[in-house]
Amino acid sequence: MGVTSLSDIETKIEGAPEGVHVAPKTVDDVVRVLRWATESGTPVRVWGGGTRQKLGHPPTPGIVLSTGRLSDIEVWEPDDLTVVAGAGIGVDELESRLGEKSQTAVLPEHPGAATLGGVLATGRASLRRARLLGPRERVLEVTMVTGDGRVVRSGGRVVKNVSGFDLHRAAIGAFGSLGVIVQVCLKLWPVPRASATISNADPESVSRITRPLALLETNDAWQLFAWGTPTDIDEIVAKTEGEGRAGLHWPEDPRGSYRWLLRVPPGRTAEAALRVRPWRFLAIHGSGELRLASEDVEGATDLRGWAEDIGGSLVLVDHPGEDAPLDPWGSPPSTLDLQRRLIAEFDPARIVNPGRLPGGL
Amino acid sequence: MQGWVTEHHPTRDGLTACVQCGLCLPVCPTFRLTGRETASPRGRIQAMRSVDEGQASVDAKFEEILDFCLGCRACEPVCPGMVPYGSLLEGSRAEISAQRPTAYRRLRRWVLGRVVPTPALMRILTVVLRILQRLHLIRLVPGRFRRSLSGLRPLDHAPNRVDRESDEPGGIGLLTGCIQEQWFPEVNRAAVELLRNAGHEVSIPATQTCCGALAAHDGHAEVAGRLGEANDRAFAACGTIVATVAGCSAHLVDRHGDGAADITAVIAAAIDEGRLPMLPRSGQKVVVQDPCHLRHAQKSIRPQRLILEAAGLDLVELDDAGMCCGAAGLYTILQPEASAELGRQKAGRISELGPELVASANPGCEMQLRAFLGEGYEIRHPIEMYLQALRRHG
Amino acid sequence: MAAIAELRDLLGSDRVLDDPLERRLYSKDASLMRGDPVCVVFPGDAEQVSAIVRIAARHGLPVIPRGAGTGLTAGASPMTGGIVMSMTGMNTIEIDPDNQAAWVGPGVINLDLSKQARPYGLHFAPDPSSQSACTIGGNLANNSGGPHCLAEGSTTSHVLGLEFVTADGQIHEVGGLAPDQPGLDLRALLVGSEGTLGIATRILVRLLPIADDVRTLLLDFPSVEDAARTVSDVIAAGMVPAALEMMDQRMVMAVENWLGAGLPTDAAAVLLAEVVGSTATVESEASIIAEIGRSNHARNVVIAVESEDRELLWKGRKSAFGAIAQLAPDYYLHDTVVPRTRLVETMAGVYEIADRHDLTMLNVFHAGDGNLHPLIAFDSSDEDVARRVKLAGEEIVDLCLSVGGALSGEHGVGVEKRDLMPSSFSALDLDAQARIKDVFDPDHLLNPAKVLPQGSRCFDFGGVRREVPEGAWV
Repeated sequence: MGVTSLSDIETKIEGAPEGVHVAPKTVDDVVRVLRWATESGTPVRVWGGGTRQKLGHPPTPGIVLSTGRLSDIEVWEPDDLTVVAGAGIGVDELESRLGEKSQTAVLPEHPGAATLGGVLATGRASLRRARLLGPRERVLEVTMVTGDGRVVRSGGRVVKNVSGFDLHRAAIGAFGSLGVIVQVCLKLWPVPRASATISNADPESVSRITRPLALLETNDAWQLFAWGTPTDIDEIVAKTEGEGRAGLHWPEDPRGSYRWLLRVPPGRTAEAALRVRPWRFLAIHGSGELRLASEDVEGATDLRGWAEDIGGSLVLVDHPGEDAPLDPWGSPPSTLDLQRRLIAEFDPARIVNPGRLPGGL
Repeated sequence: MQGWVTEHHPTRDGLTACVQCGLCLPVCPTFRLTGRETASPRGRIQAMRSVDEGQASVDAKFEEILDFCLGCRACEPVCPGMVPYGSLLEGSRAEISAQRPTAYRRLRRWVLGRVVPTPALMRILTVVLRILQRLHLIRLVPGRFRRSLSGLRPLDHAPNRVDRESDEPGGIGLLTGCIQEQWFPEVNRAAVELLRNAGHEVSIPATQTCCGALAAHDGHAEVAGRLGEANDRAFAACGTIVATVAGCSAHLVDRHGDGAADITAVIAAAIDEGRLPMLPRSGQKVVVQDPCHLRHAQKSIRPQRLILEAAGLDLVELDDAGMCCGAAGLYTILQPEASAELGRQKAGRISELGPELVASANPGCEMQLRAFLGEGYEIRHPIEMYLQALRRHG
Repeated sequence: MAAIAELRDLLGSDRVLDDPLERRLYSKDASLMRGDPVCVVFPGDAEQVSAIVRIAARHGLPVIPRGAGTGLTAGASPMTGGIVMSMTGMNTIEIDPDNQAAWVGPGVINLDLSKQARPYGLHFAPDPSSQSACTIGGNLANNSGGPHCLAEGSTTSHVLGLEFVTADGQIHEVGGLAPDQPGLDLRALLVGSEGTLGIATRILVRLLPIADDVRTLLLDFPSVEDAARTVSDVIAAGMVPAALEMMDQRMVMAVENWLGAGLPTDAAAVLLAEVVGSTATVESEASIIAEIGRSNHARNVVIAVESEDRELLWKGRKSAFGAIAQLAPDYYLHDTVVPRTRLVETMAGVYEIADRHDLTMLNVFHAGDGNLHPLIAFDSSDEDVARRVKLAGEEIVDLCLSVGGALSGEHGVGVEKRDLMPSSFSALDLDAQARIKDVFDPDHLLNPAKVLPQGSRCFDFGGVRREVPEGAWV
């Protein structure tokens, strides 16, 4: 069986490298592609919206698999606060649909073209993570197709479930190495009636607000985000002595040709922000995540050294060239061997985004 | 497998009331010390149930497991299945006594059945102890007795005990207590004075004897039964039997129900009803130590606090869920290491709190606390503190 | 036995128990299933855990980690014999207030952690009903929930990292204070793996700030349907209360008999709801819940403000399982989860099943999550009753799965629900799970024969039979 057997789903993906591009219409199509790739030893680059293709080690050339056609909202139970959607649905589209009934899946606020599958596979977080936790907390059930073409489901479409190992959580940030995510059941949150973005607040009084929705710092501003009842919001605005604006006006990530993610222990966020002040940055207080933009690759090496010393990391998210100017991930994790053996069980020919993970896995 | 041999054995209903939920584990002092199932109420009940089901016998291991229990009964109030742990424990110990009658156990049976209930013999012992105490020679006493005896109050030469009066019908009958009347006579005196101030008729039957609690806890059920019957006769004419020792009152309440009470319950009721006054606040702080036999066995927490508040004192709580101090009757002698560790922990918590006045409604606890707190602490029964305040305010 | 001698050399003889009676006390957890361990060991640190695992591997003995033994699915019962490893000795707590986290030993009691964190204004969110006894290690193993995981998530959402020992005796560390460590998130697999992938020796947990204000509501209803509908309506109204719990009349009566808290024993069902946040938030949310309750025929709504009153209500809820003992010597319960929108019909179906089999059914559960705990009180010495309990149990599971539910919400799979896994997952799903087990523990040394049914690997997947282990009331 040659690549021609995939001609019915062949497509052209804008922005993707030259070569064979496929866009499966069904889960069975994904199975077909991955079985073929495993048999032929062809690397597969998984493509969502193409917003994180530079993250990680450069992918080995091969075919490109777009999840773009797997984009249905299969079930949405607003009263149950769950939704089941295909991996290829755009985050923007999904969130705006959910917003019609005042619900949110707590996905990244400015996703651009990013898809649901993409933000999950790359582990992109929401700015609300200090309050509503990180990317692993979004999923209740994940269906994926393993590298060798098995359809595997983990979790369930209920909010609480301990039957079996949480493969669906392990798949978050795994770049498809445990399986290409094809369908997801998400846990939803109701969006309260009132919300506000508060700027120029008194930092001392801000620190006394218990668990705000977000407290963000950028090079030139502090912003506090709150949601709740109208009385609640009025009270917070008064308490913080800031300028309240109705609604949640999320800042964009810093722009630049080199973009980075700095992760430190949450208690060191302020210190980290101080350290990266010469760069453009967005710090999510209470979470330890900072989004950075800077061309200062040498400074990055120092910053990485500091971050890793305190148990954190500095990851290169985007860069202009073909090859990253330094290891995009930093020091490999100590459990590399376990990770390698685990991936071998799901992707024995190592064809899905091979080599992209830390340690070149 | 040899099963049970006495009529006192743990009952099937009592044993099956445990569904092994484990809520008793964190409040059990010996589980807290060891982290072991074998030192927990749930584990001990499992051991009993194993014997009951013919899966185990009353062997050396069973004895070791049951002997390590303090009998503090902290597991009872937290048990939503309402397992009667205290009676299961006494039943198991009775079986151990019957099936494993070692010389040491027989000696204890003789001491608890014959020596302790005989005032003349207790008086001789008290005189000897007083001489040792005066000459600072308590340190010569064998190790496991030495520590708790170092917690005695200064003993009187001829203690002005509450004289045993002849029976008067009705009213309150005061159980003077085999050890209490010899070593802590001030508590009984305070009890009589306060009860009479509160308008109670108080009688102290002359033919009364030891309540038998220590014997029952140690597995000498028939000794306890014999002593109990003697007291039934002695107190036949009394309305309520009142004891000033939490261990005694708990045993009496188990036997007589509403016909018996701890002195703290009676005095607190009198304060509540206005028959004894609430005294002005002195600003002095007192640490409240709950004897297990009040807090757990009788589920009594409020009365001792009300008495101390009425004495004008500010309460300082230990906030340790009534963890046993390790005194637990004969436990100081039988399990000196575990007892000492619990004593140290309790003393450590008290010393962190600050106040050097400590209230305890049980003489065993008082001795243990004094032994581990050392110099500088005043430890008294709540009713003594109340009486002192009452006198001060005329 | 040679292994025991080696263990004694390693740990000292007082930390290895092998008397028959001692072994019997460690032969089961709080479930109904019993095994027979070779011995019980008490390690003090990760190095000893590693050494024990190596000795066990040399002698081909399984290792069964155990916390407080409060589990309900035989997760800590040594069904295959082997060495029971009691983690209670590893109970240190290091609170890190700056990072709102704590490193704890697996033997730390859940409630002790929150008590120690309180002076820093922090608490550990997962609060299983057994929290006064159960350990963090056990919580990690089972991914335990509790009433307050409705808003805050189960244990897995609160484990930031852990140190663990694999079957080859290696000590690993995953996760950490900094979020989203690069690479695969092995932590996600270990939490909830019931001790089958590794033995946790140190756990880094997230601590959350204690809420500014709290209200606990007690609503009583003339029918279970009214209470269930209130739950659905509260969620549908766009609220996620901190907790939303239900108890039916029989359960309330048993609890009240012991507690004497003045619970309404004449109500068909009571709801316990809790809201947290600023005073303004809790007051408005409490009144909305009360309103939704009244519109669903609530007879009475009590709003507890003082912490003592609230604690008393929670004490009643959290002691419910133990209180069953007042009714019958045994109880059997399921832990299924159903979509909250299907709660009303599922509850009706569950009662119908119990009635049809003439069984005493009580219900106490995490209604807000749709996590049911239908509980049958019975005497296992009556064979006919025991048979009917089994039948009813199967029907309840089938009913819950048929409305799109899950097998277990928070108690774990253990042995008890192991052979029901194929009714929830496909052969390929189970094969994937079995592959994970084989990566971490190829010789099936750690808590073997738990969670996954025999033959989960596809190559020996000759048709899984619904084989129920002895003593499992399914």
